[in-house]
Parts: sequence; C-alpha cells; structure tokens
Amino acid sequence: MNGLLAWLEQRTGLVSQTTDFLTEDVPGGPSYWYVFGSATIFCMILQIVTGIFLTFYYAPSTASAYESTKYIYDNVPLGWFVIGLHYWGATAMIALLFMHMLQTLLWGAYKAPRELMWVVGILMLVFTLVLGLTGYLLPWDMNAYFASQVAINIASSVPLVGTAVQQLLSGGPGMGTLTINRFFGLHVWGMPALLILLAVGHLVIFRHNGAAGPPADVDNKKLPQGRFWPDQLFMDALASFLVFVVIVLLAIFQPPLLDAKADPTQKFIAYPAWYFLALYGMLRIAGLTGNFVAIANLFATVLIPGALVTLLILLPWLDRNPSRRLARRPWILGLTALSVVAAVGLSIYSQLAIQQEQAEGKTTVANVAPQPMAAGGPKGGAAGSNIAGSGGAAAAGNGAQVFATNCSSCHGASGAGVPGAFPPLAGNPYVVGDPALVIHTVAYGLTGPVKVNGKTYNGSMPDWKGKLSDADIAAAITFIRSSWGNKATPVSAADVAKVPK
Amino acid sequence: MAAHEAQAYKDPGSPEEQSRRTFLANATLGIGGVIGLVIAIPSLVSLIPESLIKPDKSIGGVWAPLSDAEFKQLESRTDNPVKMTFSFQYADGYFPPQPDDQFVWGIKLTPEQVETFQQKRPDLYTPAGKITYPAVVMSFVIFSSICPHLGCRYEWHPEATRFICPCHGSQFGIQGQHLAGPAPRGLDPLPFREKDGKAEVTWIQYKSQEPDRVIVAYS
Repeated sequence: MNGLLAWLEQRTGLVSQTTDFLTEDVPGGPSYWYVFGSATIFCMILQIVTGIFLTFYYAPSTASAYESTKYIYDNVPLGWFVIGLHYWGATAMIALLFMHMLQTLLWGAYKAPRELMWVVGILMLVFTLVLGLTGYLLPWDMNAYFASQVAINIASSVPLVGTAVQQLLSGGPGMGTLTINRFFGLHVWGMPALLILLAVGHLVIFRHNGAAGPPADVDNKKLPQGRFWPDQLFMDALASFLVFVVIVLLAIFQPPLLDAKADPTQKFIAYPAWYFLALYGMLRIAGLTGNFVAIANLFATVLIPGALVTLLILLPWLDRNPSRRLARRPWILGLTALSVVAAVGLSIYSQLAIQQEQAEGKTTVANVAPQPMAAGGPKGGAAGSNIAGSGGAAAAGNGAQVFATNCSSCHGASGAGVPGAFPPLAGNPYVVGDPALVIHTVAYGLTGPVKVNGKTYNGSMPDWKGKLSDADIAAAITFIRSSWGNKATPVSAADVAKVPK
Repeated sequence: MAAHEAQAYKDPGSPEEQSRRTFLANATLGIGGVIGLVIAIPSLVSLIPESLIKPDKSIGGVWAPLSDAEFKQLESRTDNPVKMTFSFQYADGYFPPQPDDQFVWGIKLTPEQVETFQQKRPDLYTPAGKITYPAVVMSFVIFSSICPHLGCRYEWHPEATRFICPCHGSQFGIQGQHLAGPAPRGLDPLPFREKDGKAEVTWIQYKSQEPDRVIVAYS
C-alpha cells in the first residue's frame, strides 16, 4: 500500500496535497457551530447522486414524464426510496441553507473579509430555490402542473419583459412538452453545474479566510485548537448523519405522493412547496386589496422578493458597522427577526388557507387560474350552480385557461393591463358592471380610446366571436368578473348568444 | 499512509491526542461508509431491470394473428417461404402497451418433407436445442425472423434457395437448417396454431450466439 501511494505521490503529488489540505488547523478550533454549511453540502451531494439515478428512468415529455415517474414508484426496485431520498433531501437542503444563512446573519459573518463568500452563498440559495421550483414540475402530476402554471404566470407579470420571460420559460405560449424539457434542462444540467461551481468558490474563499466563529459576546472563551481532519470532519459527519437519518425516515414513512396525471381541464387546488409558502401568502394578501390588486400583485410577486434578494446581496456593504457583537447590531438583528417572523407567519397563513380550501373541496379558480388569488376571489366558480348549464365550476376553471391563452398577453396574467394601451381588468368598473356590455366588448371587439378609472387606453380589442365558442367566451368573462378582487355574477353561453352585434 | 501523515503533521501531539485523532478518523470513515452504503445500495438496486428479477417464463401467453392474405399465400404453397407480418401489444418500459409490428417466415412442408424435417433439423431434437412445443403444426413451420447469430434479420434468396443473413453471411436451408456462416444453430421455430379460422403465432426471442435455445423474452 505504501509503495503504491509513494508511486502515486511521486507522479501526481496528490497524497501530500490531500494530506496538507485535510490536516490544516481550524483557526479557533473545530466546532459543532460549523456543521450547517457542511450538512448542506452533504445534501447537495445526496441530491446529485439520487438525481443521477432518477435520470436512468425519468424522461421529460408530456407523453412520458408522468408515466416514467409512476414507473419509478411502482416498478423500479427501491425506486420509491430513491425518489423519497431526493424529495426529502431537497427539503433538508433548503432548510439547512436557511439555517446556515440565518447563523451567518446573526453572527455578522458576512462582514469583511467574507463579503464575497456571502454573495456567493446568496446566489447558491437563489439557484437552489430555482432547483426546487423546476424539480416541482417534472413529475407532471396535477399539482406539478398547476403550481408551475402559477409560477410561470408570476414571471409573466414582471413589467415590460414579463411575456418574453414567460415564453422563454415555457418554450411557447402555454405549458407543454417543451416546458418539461426546459425545466428538465435547468434542473438537471444548468442549475447543478452553476451550484457546483459556486460551492467550490464558496469553499475556496472559506479556506482562504477561515471560519468567522461566533461573535465575541456569544463565546469568547479560547476555543481549543484542532484540525480539519479528523476533528472538524468528525463533527460534520455526525451532523450529516443525523440529517441523513431524518431524510431516510421521512422517505420511508412519509413518501412523497404522486397525484393523477396533469390534466388542465380538471379542477385542482394547487399548493406550493413549503419554501414558497411565504411568497404565496403575499400573493393571497395582494388579492385582498380590491382596487389596488394589480399594483399589490406586482409588489408581492416581483418587487418585494426582488428587493429582498438585492438587499441580501448588498448587505455586507450596507451594514458598515465593523462590530460583530450581537449587542452592537440591534438594527440588523431586529430586521432579521422581523423577516423570520413575517416569513413564518405568511407560511402558516398560506398553509392554513390551503388546508381550509382542500377541506371544503372548494373549486376556487384562484388555484387553477394562472395567478393564485385571494380566497375572496371567484364566488361564481365556487358555487357552480350560479352558472347556467352543468359543470359551472369546470367552466370557470376553463375560463382561466381561455384567459391565459387568449387574453393575458395584453391584459396581463393578473389583469393589470398595459398603461396607455390595454385597460386593466382588475378593479375595472365596466368588467364588473353590465354583463351585456362586457359580452359585447369581448364578442365584437372595441376600437378607439376608452377611459377606465380616469386613465385613457387606446389599444384595440379583437372580436372573439367565431374565434372562440360562446361557452369559452362565457367562461373567460366569468373568470375575469370573479378574479383579482372582482366580484360579479357569472355569465353563461346562452347570455353570450343573446347579445346582438 | 502513516509515514506521510507523520510528515505532514507539524505537531503530532501527545500519545493521547494521537489516539483520540485515530478514533475520530475511524469514526468519521465509519459514518461516511454507512451513509455511502445506504445511498449506494438502493441507487444501484434501482438499476436492476424488472426482467432480471422476475423473468417471464410463462409460455404461449400471447397469441397474435397473422395477416389473412399472407397466410393464404403460404397455404397456396409456392416453393418459397412466405414473409408474414403480425402485430401484438407490447409494453415498452413505462409506456402503455401499444401495437408492435413483427414478421416471421413461414414454410409449408410436403408430406415427405415433414418426414425428413427431423433429419434435417437435428438441433431441434438434442436436449439443449429442444423446444417445448411442436415445430411442425399441420405441415407448417413458422420461423422467427431473427438470425440466431447476432440478431440481424435474414432474407430469403430464391436464386440461392437459401435464407441469407446480410450482416455476417450466415446461410440456412428452406427447413431452417444451418448451412454456412457463423450462426451457432439453425433457425428458431415459433409456436403456431389455428384458432377460429385464424393462424396465430407466439413471438419468442431466443438468446443469440448460443448453440442451445435459451429463452430471452416472450412477447
């Protein structure tokens, strides 16, 4: 053995390089406080390994995504376990990332000279969330479909570039086989490659600067000296092992469920992954703001999350306070605590709301619509019997589809419209007014300037009669009259047929 | 390894320190090994194909009807074999079962040929090459279209009155007997029957390159 290692060392230097790297002193001594980062890395490795094995079966297309996922559950030996590890590994990775970030915030470890390590870490958090989002679509079951529909339509509500972003994500005007391919490419190649590069960068900076350690007022006793190997790595391994035991137990006793295959025509109450519940909660609250729903949606979907990430990236330069002592950083600690409370509160709020809706079996268009809306959204869809003819609820759900396909490119997925050209539908008195006028506008079009809420719009509304069935027109009108805070009666296909040109 | 570690350590520490580190190192490797095994075993097991775990040994499960026109051609008997197509439901991986087209070669034997078939095809009557169903049914023999050498599809060459495989030049007589080339055995007869006026076959794949007939898969 020694002979072989000596031979290898002589030709590659690998043995001494590895030994030097591993036996390096840990400044301030090894600590269980440092295990959050390494446990996150462990989860990343677990995700990569299980992900590789899942690609031996998974095939991204509308014809095979669901079928191959189901095959892994039902036919592949221990396939359900590998999927369970991957599913719970993702949850563990994101939970550990949040803990790791929180610790860095509390300890002020983002301060000089570790600013870039912090920035790289924030980027890794963002890319990991993108991994979670793209992975959510891949099974192509009901929840995958509708939750991703919501996510894509949130992207489409970004001002100016929204439509382009939405189409770039979906690979076309709507969600389909190309969307699965794109999400697969991002999930399996793009994001992991970026994440691995960033993780290497994160670790290189870490080795350069050493661990920041706890602030002096948390633990100012002299820590024992120790080495990375085996002292620190033993602690890391122990923590990773505990995390792994939890993941294994969850994979066995709480295996992830596969819904029915995605069917856009069915009603379904979509729910986001737990780490997006806070964002979802903001959306729900935005939906309660009545006439301000358009601007509130913009804040909930784009401005607040965008500002949060920007603030986090700039934090090392915004916080010029050189002290890392907790007692001298009331502002940062207060803001951190406030953010955590807000995020947890919003998540609980969303979770309770979703559970309530599922318990009621409520057919909220809110949940099948391109944009999730407040519980107070579409009453017509919920009652069903209000809508003439059978399948009222399905019609309203279909309305969301008709709207997403035909109307949202001008009027916006959240009904916000485009200033000067296309009037908003959310909070528009005409939309919730006389049904005959709404039907006439949609069926036979409208040209020339119109004034809505004191602002003039001079776009052109096409005539949809003949291009869409009366039922589809009725469904779309029912949808816009009961979404984004609008509350008005549904219309039926018979109503549409009755309105003369 | 020990020698290198000793060089790299600037401070080998007290004997207690060294023994503590040895313990931690072994414990870390042990934990890593357990985690590695729990990930590696299910991952690798997941690669085992279903067919290896429960090979389908049931015979004659799926009978597929041959095309009427083609079978009429065989019945009308020329001196040449007849290529006959059929279709059966096949579940490819996770896809739902869908029609899969295949073809076979059929020959009609004269009464004398039926008698000489055994002599021409001794490979079918040795224990290893034996098939579990009659090769000649109502004076018809149906051959799998797969060359027993390496799985190419052979063709009938009327000018040579032989089946010849285009890939590596294996040659077979009209009764499927191996005449020349690298094939290890004669052509493989398939189960054949008449049901409700329809001619039906079962598609069986035999292992290539073996002098023995080893079943790989049923349709």
